[in-house]
Amino acid sequence: MTVGMINANPVVHERPERAAHPHAAAALDPLDVFDTVRDIKDPEHPYSLEQLSVLSQESISVDEKLGRIQYVCCMLTYILALHFCACTVLKIVQHCSMATVIGLCLRLKLMQNFPPHFKVLLCFPVSGILIIMTS
Amino acid sequence: MASVPPGEWVPHVEAYVDVSRPAAQHSASVDALATLVNKDKLTLFDLVAKMDMYLTTTDHILRSRGILLLGELLSRISDKWLDVNTITTLSDFFISRLSDWPAIRGALVGCLALLHRKQGGGCIVIADVKRLVESFLQNVQVQSLAAADRKLCFQILSCILDRYPEVIKRMDGEQLYWICEAIDEEKDPECLKLSFHVVEVVMKLFPDPSGLAAQFASEFFEILSKYFPVYFTHGVADDLNATRDDLSKALMHAFCSTPYFEPFAIPLLLDKLSSSLPLAKVESLKYLDNCIRFYGADRMVKHASALWFKLKEVIFSLSSEQLLLTSGSPKDAEKNKNQMVSEALNCLKTAIVFIDSSDKDLFINLILFDGDIENKIHSILSAERSILSSVEDLAQVNALGSVISILAQSSTYSCTRVFQEHFTHLVDALGTSTDYESRQLNTCNGSSSTSVNYGALYLSVQMLSSCREVALASYADCSSIKLAKVSWWLILEKKLDRLIHLLGSLLTIASQSMHSVLRGEYVSCAVKGLLTLATFPEQCSPLPANAYEDILYMLTSVITSKFENIDLWRLSLKALTSIGSSIVEFNASQKEVIYCRTVVDNVVSLVESYDGSMPLSLRLEASYEVGTAGLNYMLRVARSLEGAVVTNISKANGRMEHVTQLFECYSSRVLPWLFTSGGINELALSFAMRLLDEIKYLTMLDRISSQGFLDSLMMGMKLLVGVCTEEQQTLIVQKAYSMVSSILPLPLKSTHHHLAVGDFVPSHSVQETSLVGMLSSVIIGLRPQTPVPDMLVMINLFTVFLLNGKLPAAYVLASIFNKYLHNTEFSHENQLDKILDDILERCFSTVLANSYSKDKSSGNILSKIDILSGLAWIGKGLLMRGDEKVKDISMFLLKCVCSDEALASEESYGNDSSDTSVAKSAAGAFHIMMSDSEVCLNKKFHARIKPLYKQRFFLILTPIFLSKIKEATSMTTKLALYRAFGHIISNAPVPAVVSEAHQILLVIVDSLAKLSVSLQDKDLVYSLLLVLSGMLMDEKGKECILDNIHITISVLTQLVSYPHMMVVRETALQCLVAFSTFPHSKVFPMRRKVLQAAIKALDDRKRAVRQEAVRCRQTWCANFAGRPF
Repeated sequence: MTVGMINANPVVHERPERAAHPHAAAALDPLDVFDTVRDIKDPEHPYSLEQLSVLSQESISVDEKLGRIQYVCCMLTYILALHFCACTVLKIVQHCSMATVIGLCLRLKLMQNFPPHFKVLLCFPVSGILIIMTS
Repeated sequence: MASVPPGEWVPHVEAYVDVSRPAAQHSASVDALATLVNKDKLTLFDLVAKMDMYLTTTDHILRSRGILLLGELLSRISDKWLDVNTITTLSDFFISRLSDWPAIRGALVGCLALLHRKQGGGCIVIADVKRLVESFLQNVQVQSLAAADRKLCFQILSCILDRYPEVIKRMDGEQLYWICEAIDEEKDPECLKLSFHVVEVVMKLFPDPSGLAAQFASEFFEILSKYFPVYFTHGVADDLNATRDDLSKALMHAFCSTPYFEPFAIPLLLDKLSSSLPLAKVESLKYLDNCIRFYGADRMVKHASALWFKLKEVIFSLSSEQLLLTSGSPKDAEKNKNQMVSEALNCLKTAIVFIDSSDKDLFINLILFDGDIENKIHSILSAERSILSSVEDLAQVNALGSVISILAQSSTYSCTRVFQEHFTHLVDALGTSTDYESRQLNTCNGSSSTSVNYGALYLSVQMLSSCREVALASYADCSSIKLAKVSWWLILEKKLDRLIHLLGSLLTIASQSMHSVLRGEYVSCAVKGLLTLATFPEQCSPLPANAYEDILYMLTSVITSKFENIDLWRLSLKALTSIGSSIVEFNASQKEVIYCRTVVDNVVSLVESYDGSMPLSLRLEASYEVGTAGLNYMLRVARSLEGAVVTNISKANGRMEHVTQLFECYSSRVLPWLFTSGGINELALSFAMRLLDEIKYLTMLDRISSQGFLDSLMMGMKLLVGVCTEEQQTLIVQKAYSMVSSILPLPLKSTHHHLAVGDFVPSHSVQETSLVGMLSSVIIGLRPQTPVPDMLVMINLFTVFLLNGKLPAAYVLASIFNKYLHNTEFSHENQLDKILDDILERCFSTVLANSYSKDKSSGNILSKIDILSGLAWIGKGLLMRGDEKVKDISMFLLKCVCSDEALASEESYGNDSSDTSVAKSAAGAFHIMMSDSEVCLNKKFHARIKPLYKQRFFLILTPIFLSKIKEATSMTTKLALYRAFGHIISNAPVPAVVSEAHQILLVIVDSLAKLSVSLQDKDLVYSLLLVLSGMLMDEKGKECILDNIHITISVLTQLVSYPHMMVVRETALQCLVAFSTFPHSKVFPMRRKVLQAAIKALDDRKRAVRQEAVRCRQTWCANFAGRPF
């Protein structure tokens, strides 16, 4: 079934070292989300998504504005929008089956690590089609 | 010794020989046999006779097992003495078995065991070793064996080499060739390590030029060179006995083993220097460094120029090719590069030091007249205003500076040559200070931007520091340096004045106009230059006294006036401190005078001055740092601090708020420093005396106490008295006492009268209270051996104050009873006991009187609370020395804790606020008794501390509390009891608490549940939770928790949403994580509850709690898999 690896020779980036969490404020921020998902391993290689630069901190946004609107309706809801740019790794491949696998990993991890009222929105611009996974 | 019948040990042999048995059983049977042999219950002869069939059968498997058993057994009886006959027989056997390849493992193990035997216990004879080597070389093809066997072979080889080198020395070329073959193509890391060692020793065995080593060097090196650089990616986790570092080191030793490797090794290493792998570069630099040391100057001279060119490439990163970096982070690349450069510089240093040929200009000519170096220096000199444009420039200048300074440091001669060549030009290129000032002026007008030539500055400072190194090295005969016609000394002397002023002007005009990034570089350079000049050893210093003074003055003026530029300020302070300690180190008397006059006086005057522009903390830091340079300086600083404290107190316009800071600095930094360097002497005594002198006026006391600085004064006084000797303390306490008795109308002059129950308690003014407070702080600091004048009068005096609710009086009484009770040195030993009883009775009645008579006219609930805590302090003093009376106090306190129950039964109301507060403070009293205190009763103030007193108290009180808690009916009483007991539990040592876990666990859990309701008890809740988590870590505690798991987990899940304290929530979650290691069947039913709590905590306000919640949830989901959501 499998015909070799989809992305056989990825570029691996160094994982930058940094202290636990640079922001003193206790509110939820993109870095928190990033910390949760950075260590997810690529299905094909023993490297994390961060090392393969599939994910970056900038691609994550935690929308507090929406949260505040929702708060009026008695439901504290944030929207985590992961603009999942597959460019560096997955762009090379036309039909990347890995994108959905990685997406599922991300979704599960986020659902496990954040309270249930958070909505998770993953967007993948893979080969021109925007796949959106929501919970 | 009686031997064991064969029936008992033969099964062991059979078990070992049987291949189908598990490995554990094999080793167990060898162990059993070895024990028998070691205890002389079985002789080797019997064993071999019985094993006959196994050792000689034609079945390969059985035979190999049999031989292996004998070999293994032999290796386990290495300490047992064996006679010559046995040894010879065994060697004969194993040597002959070397030719039996299907059973070779056993033969190898046996040979190795024989070779490893110690001299005293019967070891193999040298003729047998020779036969062994011959048979070994003839029969064993190392590379055709399995890895474990190869390892054994190498072990045998290296053992022979280490212990019987004479056998190998007689080898011929063919046999050496066999070794080459044996190690060729080896891949296993452990075998490689051994084989590198073998090569190293073999090569060292044949040092003469016509020997075999010289002959075989190329063969051996060809094999070794394949492994360079060692590339080995196994981590620590793989249980290999070798790391990359081990291998690399072993290979390096092999490389360095003989100079005959030189023609092959050096070209290889130099070639690898141009490799694009950072690892290869660093490795070859390390190897080169070692090889230069071992190969000797004669062999290395011819490589000198090639070496320099290659090193130059690395140091200045000349090679254009990019390094191959698997990882893209620029920071990592930078680190790699820095490591390479520093290794290269090391290597260059070694080369310059070790390759000292007849031509001592060799490296000087190579480096100084190198085209690149000349170009670089020329470009620095020619650039009129060389402003550093980029980080690369900075790195280049740094590299150039390092190379020049390494060259100059190597000897006096090369230092002189370098100075002749460049120093004058460089200093000239810097311009003059007047130039600089005028340019600076221009900048202020905004007409032009300007800068000092940084490259020239850096290089000249580097050269200065290297000539200081040279001066230090030739410290003994510096006269020759001065007398020489041409020397760096003369060159430096000529340019000295100009240089000093220039560096100084860099400091004073400070480089505000410069680029902020580079400003740091300039300033640190200038400070370093000044520091170097000032720390030349006195005899060979080119610096005249006035120039020295100038330098000190420049740096000091930065300290006094430029504190807003904090980097510069810190640098200068550090420089001054190093200058000071160098004076102490070289014992330079003349310089010391100047230093004291210029630096210490000025810095110390900062402390005394009233100038408000500079923050006090900086002033204190400056004087402390300068003081650390030497004992004398620190004494000066201490005295000036003393003066500052006294003047601030005494003068009407003194700043009281400074006193706290001054005292803080004095007692927490200066005093400990002096204490460790043994220079306290009279210092503390005189300070304490002066303080006492100052406060004898009531107006002064009024001022102090009204501004709230009494506490810091008292604390300082205690510390001062605490460090004094007994005689000094006697003086101080006498003075304090006479002072107090002259001012206070002492009501109780008669020594035999003391306050009886019901006497009127006179009250005192604020001044008097502060005066007594000072007296009390003197007495608290006393040593137990110091006599106290009129102790009974004093105790009476303090008792009065205690009954007025003054806590210092409680401290001092606690200290007195702690130190002097039953002290045979004092005549009134028995009286003290009685007085204590009286005081306690009086206190009890005062507290009780109010609470039962409901006489609210006195309105002194507050003082009642103070008396309660006073009682607690006295109780603490007694507890620490292990006195029985502590029981009375604790029972009384317990009574107070339960007091509102008595009240409730009397159906009185309206008064309950006072009584709950009495109950509350009685509960708090237990906290005072159990916790450690800074105020009094600690090691600093010489308290008597019985070991394990907390544990004892805890064990005594536990049953009492448990029964009281059981009896308690009302909620408030129960809460108060929980509070009191909680204080005791949380302060007792954890092992003691855990050992009582079965009794108190439920109480702890219940306290956690009840106390978590109110905000006030949050600290107590936290410390109880910590005790609980300590129990969770302990096996015994775990058992106990397991029995009550439902209630424990449900309380913990409640605490996960504890609103008052973040750490409580976090710790509760951590405890829940710890539960996951409990037996599955017990914990599983709690899964739902815990997960719900954890999910709730995912939305916590604090990040730390959220992260802990994620961990908790994941652990529970993973360990107790059910539906995760």
